[in-house]
Amino acid sequence: MDFHAALGWGLPVGIGLAAIGSGIGLGGIGLGAMQAIGRQPEATAKIQLAMIIIAALAEALTIYAFVTMFLLSGKI
Amino acid sequence: MGLEFLARVRTTSRWAGAVAALVMGRYLTPGDGLAVGFGVLWSLVNLFLIERLIVALTGPGHGQLPALRRVAWSVGGMLALFAAGAVLLTQLPPQSLVWGFLVPFAVLTLKAGSLLILGSQGWKRFARDPRRAAGLIVAVALAVWAVTPLLARAAGETSDTTHAATEAARPAAGQHGAGAQPGETHGASGAANHESGGHAESAGPQKFANFITVLSRAFPDQPWAHFLHQYEVVIFSLLLAFLIGLTAWFASRSARMIPGPFQNAVEALVEALYDFIVGILGPKHGPRYVPFLGTLFIYILAMNLFGLIPFMDSPTSSLNVTVALAITVFLYAQFIGLRELGLIGYLDHLAGNPRTVTQWALVPLMLPIHVMGELAKPISLSCRLFGNIFGEDMLLVAFVTLGITTLSFMHLPIGLPLQLPFLFLALLTSTLQALVFTVLSTIYFLLMLPHEEHGGEGEAHHAH
Repeated sequence: MDFHAALGWGLPVGIGLAAIGSGIGLGGIGLGAMQAIGRQPEATAKIQLAMIIIAALAEALTIYAFVTMFLLSGKI
Repeated sequence: MGLEFLARVRTTSRWAGAVAALVMGRYLTPGDGLAVGFGVLWSLVNLFLIERLIVALTGPGHGQLPALRRVAWSVGGMLALFAAGAVLLTQLPPQSLVWGFLVPFAVLTLKAGSLLILGSQGWKRFARDPRRAAGLIVAVALAVWAVTPLLARAAGETSDTTHAATEAARPAAGQHGAGAQPGETHGASGAANHESGGHAESAGPQKFANFITVLSRAFPDQPWAHFLHQYEVVIFSLLLAFLIGLTAWFASRSARMIPGPFQNAVEALVEALYDFIVGILGPKHGPRYVPFLGTLFIYILAMNLFGLIPFMDSPTSSLNVTVALAITVFLYAQFIGLRELGLIGYLDHLAGNPRTVTQWALVPLMLPIHVMGELAKPISLSCRLFGNIFGEDMLLVAFVTLGITTLSFMHLPIGLPLQLPFLFLALLTSTLQALVFTVLSTIYFLLMLPHEEHGGEGEAHHAH
C-alpha cells in the first residue's frame, strides 16, 4: 500500500472515528445536562451555558480531525 | 483670471508635483522622481518669471527705470533658466522631465476649464436639482466604467488573452441573470464554479463565488483584480467592521429617552450582552470587559452570517482571521493577568499557586503544563471557529454541486435547491460558534482575574 492509497483510506476513516468519539461525548454531556435540568429546572440558564461550553470543547475534536483532513486531502 | 488665479495655480501645482514626484520615485526609479520634481520646478519658475515680466511691462509705472530693471532681470533669469533646462535634459530622463514640465500647464488648463464650466448657466441648472446632478455623476461613472476596459484592451493585449477574458466573463454574466432567491443564486454561482473550475488556478477546495472572485475572473489580467482577490478576506472583514460601526453610529446618533424601533433593538442586544457577560465575570470586574467581549460577539456573528448572503463571503472561513481574533484574546488575557495579579501574582498563577512543600516540589512540572495550556487556548479557539464555518461552507458547496449534477442533463444554469435545509443548520452553527468564542474568551478572562470567593484556590482547579 503506497502513501496515497493509505491517505485515501485513512482520512475518511479517521474523520469517522473522530465523529464517533465526539458523538459519544456529546451524548454524555446532553444526558447530564438534561438530568440536571430535570432535577433543578430553576438552574436551567446556568446549566445550559455550561453545557454549551463543554459541548463546544467536545465538538472541537471532530473539527480538528476535519481541518487535518482538509490539510491532507490535497496530497491524495 | 488675474494674479490671484495664477497664485492658486502655483499652489496646486506645487502639491501635485510633489505627490507626482514621490509616486514616480517610489514606483519607477528615483531618477524619474527627481526629473518630475525638477520639471515642475522649472515650469513654475518659468511661469513666475513670465508673470513678473508682464507685470513690469504693463503694470503701473512702466517705462521708468525700476520697471525696466525688473524687465532686464526677468529676461536674464529666463535665459539662465533655459540654459539650466538644457543641462537637466542631458542629465535626467527626458520623458519624466517633460511630464513634470507639463504638470503646471495641466493644472492651469483644468482650473480654467472648471472655472468656465462652474460659471456657466447649464451647470447652475444642473446643480440646482440634486436628482439631475446625481444622474450626471452616475452617467460619468458608467462612461468611465465602460471605456476603461476598452482602453486597457486597446493598449496592446493579444487576441487570445481577450478571448480568455470574454470566456471568463460569460459565467459571471450567467450569475447576474439568475433569480433573486438565495437558493437559486447559490445554485447559479455553484454552476459558475463548476464550469470555470477547469481553467481557474485552484488553490485548495473551491468555495462559493463572491463578487471579488467574479471580478477577478472577469478581469484576469488586471493588477487591481489580482490585488482584490489576494486581499478579499481583509476587504470583507473591513467592510463588516465599517457596516457595524455605521449601524452603531446611526443607532446612537439621536438617542432618546423613549427609543424608536431601531434604537430599541440595538439597546436590547447591548443589554442582553451586558447581562450575560456580567453574569459570568461578576459585577465587580464584569462591566470593564463588556465592550471588548460584546464587540467580539457581534463582529464574529456578523462575519459568520455574511457568507450566507449571495456574492459575499465569510471572513471567518479563513484561518487568518480566526487566528488574528484568537491572538487578540490571548494577548488581552495575559495583559489582564499582569495588570490584576501583578508580575509576582502572574508567575504564581502560572506555577499553580504553590503553598505547601509538595506543591513547591511540583512547580517544575506544573509551570510547563500551565504555559502550554495558555498557548493551547488561542489554537483551539481559532481552529474551532475556522473549522466550523469552513465546514459549513463546504457542506453547502457539496450539496449545491449535487443539486446541479442531478439537473445537468437539462443544460440549464439552475439546479435543485438541495442545500436549503443546511442553510438553517448554517444559521444555527454561525450563532452558536459566535457564542462559544465569546463565552470561552470570557472564561479565559475569568481565570486570570483574582477570585475573592474562592480565595485563589479555585484557579488552579479551574485551569485545564
